[in-house]
Amino acid sequence: MSFSNSKDKSVVAVYKLVKAPIYSHCFSQDKSILAVTCETDCLVYRVSNNTPPVLFATLKDHDKTITAVDISIHGRIVTCSQDRNAYVWEPLSDGTYKPTLVLLRINRAATSVTWAPNGYKFAVGSSARIIAVCYYEHENNWWVSKHIKKPIKSTINCLSWHANGVLLAAGGTDGFMRVFSGFIKGLDSKESVAGSPWGQKFPFGCLIREWYQGSYIHDVEWRSQMERIAYVAHDGTLNVVDYQSPVQSVNAPEGLPYRSLVWINDHEIVCGGYSCHPVLFSEASEGWKFAKNLDKSDNNKSSALTASGNADELSGNNDESSTFGISALRKFKELDLKGKVSTDVQESAHENAIVELRPFAESNGQITQVSSCGLDGKIVIYTI
Amino acid sequence: MEADWRRIDIDAFDPESGRLTAADLVPPYETTVTLQELQPRMNQLRSLATSGDSLGAVQLLTTDPPYSADAPTKEQYFKSVLEALTQVRQADIGNVIKNLSDSQRDVLVKYLYKGMSVPQGQKQGGVLLAWLERITQVSGVTPIVHYISDRRTV
Repeated sequence: MSFSNSKDKSVVAVYKLVKAPIYSHCFSQDKSILAVTCETDCLVYRVSNNTPPVLFATLKDHDKTITAVDISIHGRIVTCSQDRNAYVWEPLSDGTYKPTLVLLRINRAATSVTWAPNGYKFAVGSSARIIAVCYYEHENNWWVSKHIKKPIKSTINCLSWHANGVLLAAGGTDGFMRVFSGFIKGLDSKESVAGSPWGQKFPFGCLIREWYQGSYIHDVEWRSQMERIAYVAHDGTLNVVDYQSPVQSVNAPEGLPYRSLVWINDHEIVCGGYSCHPVLFSEASEGWKFAKNLDKSDNNKSSALTASGNADELSGNNDESSTFGISALRKFKELDLKGKVSTDVQESAHENAIVELRPFAESNGQITQVSSCGLDGKIVIYTI
Repeated sequence: MEADWRRIDIDAFDPESGRLTAADLVPPYETTVTLQELQPRMNQLRSLATSGDSLGAVQLLTTDPPYSADAPTKEQYFKSVLEALTQVRQADIGNVIKNLSDSQRDVLVKYLYKGMSVPQGQKQGGVLLAWLERITQVSGVTPIVHYISDRRTV
């Protein structure tokens, strides 16, 4: 069922797919296939324009909650789970998928997974304070996992590869955003990082740079052609860094943290999180700032009412300089008289937090549409 | 047995695993501030507060707070902060907050919650709540989200 219950024009499609949270979703390169996580399964849908997604495969091999899914440029699906494993799912011609177990050699949950741009290796973040970089070895017919351990102090929440396939940005609950080298001998060439402003040598696992944010980092994403990295943290900030200048930071206008971000172009980023709707930020000469809300129910009657109520209360307090206790008492009395607490009905397309945003459509190097998944079990596509 | 797997100590035989300790969560400070270095600041704070310059006092206490000091030093410093905050007249609170920057409001909220967590602050609970109420009217939940997620403590 594809419908939009929002009057806002930015919502293109809403797919209510499952009755459980969708922690992660991914479209294939040509947007014809959609993979979503649902508890211990990964559901694969076929998507075509203006029709609801059709379920055609269920990837069932994990035995604990799947935390992340990604699809490579070749159409291989990788999933990772709290059962400490990852599977690579090779698409077969009859529409089914052939699973290959990847032994990550970690003793805690895997939390995030992302294919390198070339599709020949992927990185898995975990609660074991390890990033596992996995690649296929033909001689052994086996996915090998190499570990990046130091100096990670806590769970890795998010990973992002640079377009050169070597630099790997990672953020986690120790409050650091770090850039490592994920250089695999025989797979990556030194030419791909020649002249990189981030350094001269990139041996595997080497820490290139780190930034301290102090709060959980929820998502990180490279803007490779600008050599910049953006990340969102649990203190409700969007931050942009590069190899030389200090961190540029901007607060969420509503104060609630973001869980995910997508670069729209060189100077615009869209974020989504606990406020349940995407927010666009743009870079001006004076730095990054809030640009606009997408799919936000404003000029809502009830919220206007509470806002004016607050204003009254504020001015009233200034005049009488009444104490907090009395104003609290009055607030309760007012509520009692009204006989209702709030009629503030959420009218955005997502009814719960957005946990992941991904680019959906692109034209002339500019992202025009993004897709999102949320704790409400919905996939929503927004026009920027 | 089946339900107990979450209680298994998976690190018991892994010396390399190493759990996260409280020390791991302390931000990487380059230097630490001592009580001696803070003394002039505390005196200045006291004189501003007693002379009735409440905006000056609050601006001073919310600028560059001694994050890197040890716990007893922070305790001492907080006493003078609380003193300064309680000396601001109720009617002035709104005006003072209006003249603070966002980062200064963040610091102020840290001191308010710190106050609520210690006995001498709890005696002044009404004052602290009055400050918090006014801040949230101006800045919403932003400073509170910052307070919750920030490991630089006051």
